[in-house]
Amino acid sequence: MKGAGKKAGRAAVKARGGADAAVASPTATDTSAAGMGLACRGVTFSYEEGREAVPAVRDVGFELAAGGSLALLGASGAGKSTLLQLVRGLDEPEAGAVVLDGVKPGGERYAALRREIGLVFQIPELQLFAASAREDVAFGPRRLRWSDERVKEAVSAALELVGLPEEKFGDRHPYALSGGEQRRLALAGVLAMKPRLLLLDEPFVSLDPGTRRQLAGILGRLKGAGVTIILATHDVDLAWALCDDVLVLSAGEVAASGAWEFDAAARDLLVRNRLREPQLVELWRRLGRDLATAPRTAAEAAEALA
Amino acid sequence: MRPAIAQYYPGDSLMHRLDPRAKFVAVSALALALFVRDSFLGLAVYAAAAALAYAISGVPVRWFWRAFKPLLWLVGLTFLAQVVFARGTPFFSFWFVHLSWSGIELAAFLSLRLVVLVLAGSVLTLTTTPIALTDGLAWLGRPLRRIKVPTDELALMVTIALRFIPTLLVELDTIMRAQRARGADFRSGGLRERARALVPVLIPLFVLSFRRADDLALAMEARCYQPGIVRTRLHPLRAGRADVLLLVVTAAVIAAGLLV
Repeated sequence: MKGAGKKAGRAAVKARGGADAAVASPTATDTSAAGMGLACRGVTFSYEEGREAVPAVRDVGFELAAGGSLALLGASGAGKSTLLQLVRGLDEPEAGAVVLDGVKPGGERYAALRREIGLVFQIPELQLFAASAREDVAFGPRRLRWSDERVKEAVSAALELVGLPEEKFGDRHPYALSGGEQRRLALAGVLAMKPRLLLLDEPFVSLDPGTRRQLAGILGRLKGAGVTIILATHDVDLAWALCDDVLVLSAGEVAASGAWEFDAAARDLLVRNRLREPQLVELWRRLGRDLATAPRTAAEAAEALA
Repeated sequence: MRPAIAQYYPGDSLMHRLDPRAKFVAVSALALALFVRDSFLGLAVYAAAAALAYAISGVPVRWFWRAFKPLLWLVGLTFLAQVVFARGTPFFSFWFVHLSWSGIELAAFLSLRLVVLVLAGSVLTLTTTPIALTDGLAWLGRPLRRIKVPTDELALMVTIALRFIPTLLVELDTIMRAQRARGADFRSGGLRERARALVPVLIPLFVLSFRRADDLALAMEARCYQPGIVRTRLHPLRAGRADVLLLVVTAAVIAAGLLV
């Protein structure tokens, strides 16, 4: 990652796609066509709070190629959620623009592209409302005015993808599911719309380790299928395991962006933003190994150390 | 997110520092006097007093305007109804409309009275936090406990409700955004469609509120809350000389308004 304004050229850790080897098998991926390319240019937005405007993101610029994966890191209140909502178009930036697949804002084509962006909110199970899991997942596809046949297929595929097979879970009431199942159901509700760009806001919060692993696996599969992913999270280990690129927001501004780097300056930047380097990277550093070969998963580490 | 009547305006003026009980009594007494007194002169005295109190509070005038705007239609309606229906010697008649000078005078009086009432009320609500107001009301309602009205519990309920309004508004906003991200549309369509579009918002909001209420009840019990017993306060209400002065001045103003 490059400090904003600084020159690149440090030993960048090469991207190596794929999550945990055990869950990253690129099977069962009926998700979408290729991913969507994204470019944010000088995106600025502030909230009105009482009598004054509080800047939330300022002059944020970055590019993410189709099929890319970006970890959006930053302390609480750094503007991660706001940025995701701006990309999805729930708010319009005061200045700057979000360019999708090279298309600038305005026009029917841009609006259509926006509909191909999926946004999974923080604690998304709080938004479940339908009387059955199937109905809840079908909400989005129906809003897209797909044919009944297509909606049915999409719902079934999405439920399958998140590990809640329709035959078993389709008729269950969302509120009767466990917390982890609810989280995955909410994710299915977004995936059923076949997003080409998937934005996730802290998807791992308050999940048990089993569900985290499952969710990481799902994201790995989506990435394998070519979906562009932005993952806003505090979990640097999962961010490192899942994402090729990283962007650190600090008080609404880009503090660093690009490929992962772990030299002293980068480590310092992470610490200053109330983050830390991934544990496997720390392990590599303590072992005195070349950080350019730092493993992304425990399996990779084991292999390298064997 | 704008409450209908008025919102608390943070400040440290004399009006802000007065005891909520004194302010409530003063405003109530003034409101009562406003309804008893039916001359423009009396109205002018009360209007001047309310305006002076507002000026002392240091709240920008546009905050009054903001509070008053939603009530404009009520004032307008009062005026129109009086103008059209008041009895008097008409100088213009058409169908059911009879305009008379006395009618217009009465209409102007009643509308102005409403304006003064809202002005006095907003001094109270703009300078008193809802929680302080509730505390004050609970204290004033204490005599009712003799006839088994659970005033403290009611006050606590109101306090909790007020405390959670901003939280619920934030949650409402989040849920609406999330459903919009899934294609929900709250802005177009007929009344029926719009009402239907709210289902995916209201159900999660209800579920969340009930869950929160459960959690809160448990947390309160864990902190030894027991209904029906007298609770002490960290910051008990304390009336001082300024509060007595406020009541004396108010009494004088009311008397002046009644006598002029």
